[in-house]
Amino acid sequence: MLSAWLGAVLSGILLGLLYGLAAIGLNLIWGVMNVINLSHGAFIALGMFSSYFMAKYLHLSPFIGVFLVLAMGVILGMVTYFVSLHKIISAPELSTLLATYSVSLVIIGLGTFIFTTNPRAIDIALGSVSVGGTVLPTTRILTGIFSVIFTLWLYYFLYKTWSGKAIRAVSMNRDAAELMGVNTTMALALAFGIGVALAMTAGALAATIFPFTILSGGGYELKSFVICVLGGLGSPLGALLGGLILGLIENLVTLKIATSYVPFLEFAILVFILIVKPTGLLARR
Amino acid sequence: MDQPTLKVENLETGYGEVQILWGIDLEVPPGNLTTILGANGAGKTTLLRAITGILPVWKGKVTFHGEDITHLSPHHRASLGLVMIPEGRMIFPEMTVLENLEMGAFTKRARAGLKENMEYALSLFPRLKERLEQKAGTMSGGEQQMLAIARGLMADPRVLIFDEPSLGLAPKLVIEVFETIQKLKEEGVTMLLVEQNVHLSLALTDYAYVLAEGKVVMEGTGEELEESEEVKKAYLGA
Repeated sequence: MLSAWLGAVLSGILLGLLYGLAAIGLNLIWGVMNVINLSHGAFIALGMFSSYFMAKYLHLSPFIGVFLVLAMGVILGMVTYFVSLHKIISAPELSTLLATYSVSLVIIGLGTFIFTTNPRAIDIALGSVSVGGTVLPTTRILTGIFSVIFTLWLYYFLYKTWSGKAIRAVSMNRDAAELMGVNTTMALALAFGIGVALAMTAGALAATIFPFTILSGGGYELKSFVICVLGGLGSPLGALLGGLILGLIENLVTLKIATSYVPFLEFAILVFILIVKPTGLLARR
Repeated sequence: MDQPTLKVENLETGYGEVQILWGIDLEVPPGNLTTILGANGAGKTTLLRAITGILPVWKGKVTFHGEDITHLSPHHRASLGLVMIPEGRMIFPEMTVLENLEMGAFTKRARAGLKENMEYALSLFPRLKERLEQKAGTMSGGEQQMLAIARGLMADPRVLIFDEPSLGLAPKLVIEVFETIQKLKEEGVTMLLVEQNVHLSLALTDYAYVLAEGKVVMEGTGEELEESEEVKKAYLGA
């Protein structure tokens, strides 16, 4: 009995870190650009497929390929910014919301056509590790570790590099940043690129644990919204913490109730927080 | 005569369909303090927005050290050394004082001199030195204005533009801001000042322009304008 609880806590933490990573991209784009990125889930799914094809055709381990996915994601995200968002970035939020929704429809539509919706899985066997009587798959442990690494990388980037500081400055006052010599268009494009890249990275990692289809990003997108509300906007560590909370809740309650109740529970939490503390549970502002 | 640092010729612009500026001419000579006066709605802020590039110019020309910058983006102008301390300070509230100062030195030009400029800015405003790790948004209005000026100096400006630096400050702090401007003037910094406080700015300025309804209606040296009956009537309550 005790080991069941321990197992639930451990896999809750590992899964929670992955959820946190998935939410960070959404959080960043929302915080910096005031854009609610409804293509978030579609990019997560693209990350899954990128990792899958790299493993299948290039025989690249997903835990190495994930760095390639990150780089591809930055480029793909920046291109998406200039194609779909640049012209309307100063328009009311509804315009950018619809624009990112269209991007999502395009990706999912093409993805369904090309890949169909048959489930796929990455063929990876790394064995398992036994911790205090519980057995954890190695892929889950690696996924948790990589999630922390990418979160710390983002933290370092935002707080220690000129480009990162420029993105933070733009999020606080776009005009002032421009007057300081920041090319704010490029800063916004880069912020969107990194947000998309982190979403794809989370997808690439998730694909090592669960089977997936082009539609699988949707679930993570919804979880990401809950996590953003839990962790508040603007802080990568807040998102990671929000992810941990969600991962733990999911894994602990499923010891007692059926898994199919999990989405219900998640959204009950979302609604509850929005009523009690609309700025987010851990938000500073 | 030296080439003017900043020159505005026959500038026209506005918002949407509404024209605000109707052919402005002005010059900022090197090492001088030039002032723009005018009532609310005269077009002072609009003129600065056009000079810094935030607002596109409809007609006319802006030159900086002889280079036509009329159609350059604001960040490009900043990288040339055209630096504005915006109205309402516009500091980055969630960043520390230190990070705000670093952001001031964002351009390639300014990064080279980051260390010396930081020392210089902090010697002008020793109070900021004690607060380098504090979040800028938690400081008082006066301290934020000092930070905004210090951040402007970090940019290694070839012309420093002040937009209403004394707005919303207590009288004692207004004096402090003008003392700083005087100090910078003595050190030979080229400045363009937009101010509501006519008395203090005319006392300091080398040359001033009076704007009304989007046109330059009067210009002259500080003393000339201070003596002028019209300026007295309009601003000095005489």
